[in-house]
Amino acid sequence: MPIKDISHREKFLAGGNVYLPHIIVIEKIIEETYDTRTFHFNFKDDNLREEFTFESGQFGEYSVFGVGEATFCISSSPTRRDHLEFAVKRAGKVTNALHRLSAGAEIGFRGPYGNSFPLDYLKGKNLVFVAGGIGLAPLRSLIWNAIDNRAQYENIDIIYGARSPADLCFQYDLDAWEKDKSVKMVTTIDHEHEGWQGRVGFVPQVLEQVAPAARNTAAIVCGPPVMIRFTFPVLEKLGFTPEQMITTLEKRMKCGIGKCGRCNIGDIYVCRDGPVFSFAQIKDFISGEY
Amino acid sequence: MSRKRQRTSYDKTMKKIKKKDIGNLLRQWQSDFAVFTPSRKSGTARMEEWDGQDTSFLEWYRNTVIPPKGNIFPNMEEMFSFHKDGEGYHLELPAQDEAKHLIFAIRPCDARALKIIDPVFQDAYEDNYYLTRRENTLLVGLGCTDPHESCFCTSLGISPGESGDVDLMLTDIGEEFSIEEVTEKGKELLARTEGLVEAAQPDELRTRESREAAAKKISRKLDTTNLKERLLSSFEDKEFWEKAAAKCISCGICTFLCPTCYCFDINDETSGGNGTRFRSWDSCSFSVYTKMPAENPREDKWQRVRQKVCHKYEFYPRLFDITACTGCGRCIRLCPVNWDITRVLESVPEETTAQKENRNAN
Amino acid sequence: MSEIEQKLQTEAKALLEQGKVDYIIGFTQGSLRFTTTPLITRDKGDTESLVINPFIVNNLSVYLNEIKGRVGIVAKGCDARSIISLIQDEQIIREDVIILGVPCPGIIDLGKIEKLVGTDRDKLDDITREGDRVIITTGKEKKEFPITEALFDDCLGCESPIPQEYDILLGEESPLSRNTELSRSKIKELEDMPPEKRWEFWKSEFSRCLRCNACRQVCPACFCERCFVEESEPRWISPVPRWQDNLMFQVTRIIHVAGRCTDCGECERACPVDIPLRSLTGKMAEIVDELFHYKAGTDKDAPPLMTAYEPEEAEDFIR
Repeated sequence: MPIKDISHREKFLAGGNVYLPHIIVIEKIIEETYDTRTFHFNFKDDNLREEFTFESGQFGEYSVFGVGEATFCISSSPTRRDHLEFAVKRAGKVTNALHRLSAGAEIGFRGPYGNSFPLDYLKGKNLVFVAGGIGLAPLRSLIWNAIDNRAQYENIDIIYGARSPADLCFQYDLDAWEKDKSVKMVTTIDHEHEGWQGRVGFVPQVLEQVAPAARNTAAIVCGPPVMIRFTFPVLEKLGFTPEQMITTLEKRMKCGIGKCGRCNIGDIYVCRDGPVFSFAQIKDFISGEY
Repeated sequence: MSRKRQRTSYDKTMKKIKKKDIGNLLRQWQSDFAVFTPSRKSGTARMEEWDGQDTSFLEWYRNTVIPPKGNIFPNMEEMFSFHKDGEGYHLELPAQDEAKHLIFAIRPCDARALKIIDPVFQDAYEDNYYLTRRENTLLVGLGCTDPHESCFCTSLGISPGESGDVDLMLTDIGEEFSIEEVTEKGKELLARTEGLVEAAQPDELRTRESREAAAKKISRKLDTTNLKERLLSSFEDKEFWEKAAAKCISCGICTFLCPTCYCFDINDETSGGNGTRFRSWDSCSFSVYTKMPAENPREDKWQRVRQKVCHKYEFYPRLFDITACTGCGRCIRLCPVNWDITRVLESVPEETTAQKENRNAN
Repeated sequence: MSEIEQKLQTEAKALLEQGKVDYIIGFTQGSLRFTTTPLITRDKGDTESLVINPFIVNNLSVYLNEIKGRVGIVAKGCDARSIISLIQDEQIIREDVIILGVPCPGIIDLGKIEKLVGTDRDKLDDITREGDRVIITTGKEKKEFPITEALFDDCLGCESPIPQEYDILLGEESPLSRNTELSRSKIKELEDMPPEKRWEFWKSEFSRCLRCNACRQVCPACFCERCFVEESEPRWISPVPRWQDNLMFQVTRIIHVAGRCTDCGECERACPVDIPLRSLTGKMAEIVDELFHYKAGTDKDAPPLMTAYEPEEAEDFIR
């Protein structure tokens, strides 16, 4: 159905035009892996820097002027607002151009767009985060959000994996969560690797081994499409209902606001009605196009 | 969103003008509006700015190739420009096109098409580029007298002879056009237009007859019984869709020339540190439309054909309560392989191929 | 039904029944008057709707690349040349294709017919060819014209009325109605233009281009899995349809198909905004013939033009 209430979406429009980006300045660049970087940024405009808010799970459209615009989730938590973050894996024109930037560079930002993780549903539950590769980026916003509001949630399990040790992103987060006694951190890599002392196995397999209890639990999953497709059946086997499984979908997007048509599946737009969906909602999609 | 026209339309003022005096009418309107009329001067029939003289389009005009949507939502338009100096990036919106436009002789199908795509540009976020132009464009409709064999507007609830989606409606009544006011804007324009004569009873009768005759001339019919249900139930019927899509060549003609298609792409053009961001027409028929680094959910042609058909006749109605097709027939007329959506829609099965096979086996 | 149609239907049905092919690709009656449409089928019952008439304009070889399996394909002389070209490029295997050759006296251009009688095609009652005349009937009125005024330009320059390569020939050669001068009249017009005027002409033509990609999609020689237009690193051609990029796209595409383009004219026919693309493809084919004495799709054993080199070849363009 058409969305009528856009009051919360009217905020943060540059020049009253929904396609005009704000100018943001890159403050710090972290090389996560050989092809993934995290960018710390802030709005150039001081007012916006103070006023800007977003929720975990939302994304932005980031512009490298002259090259193009691309979609990335906001990977920092709304509870830690001295700066904002997004993570980029090199894949094409815009991502490569982003990787060529240095601190101090100016790029564009439109957002925050999309829906967010359903905190009301998640409060009071155990949380199981299942992520692969750069899929940890949208989840880490929610993980830190949950840790900063620790009392509102029960157990927190984080299961994260990558192809090899060199592909593990957000090492500093993994270390912090390893040390944090209030969360359980399980890291794995796909195959044996020299020097790796930790777990070995694909994320869905490790999930099955860890076997978190399904009762009063929500599973939040993000990663490469093939990983998600193998994770859902494992969760079902462990007793999770489709409503208890939550994910954030990746689709090719351009406008980010439900107009250009690209991310359309059936009668929903992933950018406007998502990207956060429960598996129950995804099952209702017109086709297995996810 | 859609204006319901009262059936008692003839209590509104109806005027008329001789066909040979149309030039005078358009010249008058040119003092307030940039007037657009059907024209083949560029090489292809489309709505182009009137030169102030030539009304010969009345002789050949049945419908344009490029629909009037191209005047409100152009093939290519500038979104903003950017330049970089010592202080960083500066963004500038293009000068707002405040000029008032008038599109003369738009057909009821194309006028309805604009109503159909309005929600896209209004919903959730307002698209200023489209909405400003839409607000500033007055539509003067011209009822059809000679529909193409590819037209099927009546099957979608559109009448070729009359329209509630325009501001003024002209009807061919022989040597003259009758002019009917439809909206307040139209009424206001008509009131200050000179050289018009009040229409009399016989004129109103001929208007009604002309409209009925046009509707009767529509030869192509599309049976929409259970269409949405059939499309829903056969969505996963790969065999049906592969057969339906077999001769399609995945160009973008049908979607580009469709008055209700609106998908667009956004790209930057740059020279040094300066440049412009453009938007341009895009098509779900293209194989790269949904391509991502990891996968392409619509890699196969049949998936794209299915998406186009289902989006127009099922998904869009679910979102905005209106079918995204006006039966203008351009897709049928201009497809290089004569892929015909009416034929495909009528062949969408009640039951899937698998269900039929099961039934036959038992 | 004509003899040639009867023969086609019989042969096509037999091919499917005997399991010699998986698909038949041919023409059947379209959903508009005087229009045929491609028929791609595995069903032998469908062969009864195959037709041969003066309106079978499509170059069906464009489907050969994407169909998996053995195909029985209806081919006019020009289409057969495209098939040969695809075989040269190793896009299809000769044994996987059974060519049902159609001797073709030329295809009627509905655009030309409309101009001759000043009436749109859907208002005409009949268009019939009789020998070297075409008779157009509207109601009681019959108008007659020489057939050379009604055929497509490239039919007027046809050099292969009988397919040079075929497995089954469906009929006998019919007399051609050639007029090479007429066939290249548009090209001549452009050749006679001074360069500045020619530039303005093409600038104006390509300002209309919508980048619908029909020219590329309908072309059998454009079989690249990833077209240069879709490359983003580097971005050779902008997706924004400005005339500069449209012109560059077309010129580059035509150079890419040089030596493989058989000048079948499909690109010009498909273009919804009437850009005279054959003036470019036709000229390109002439240049290729001049420089390399090579005509695309005439020798299935020849290496593709751009992969072969003779020491004696023209070098004057190397400066």
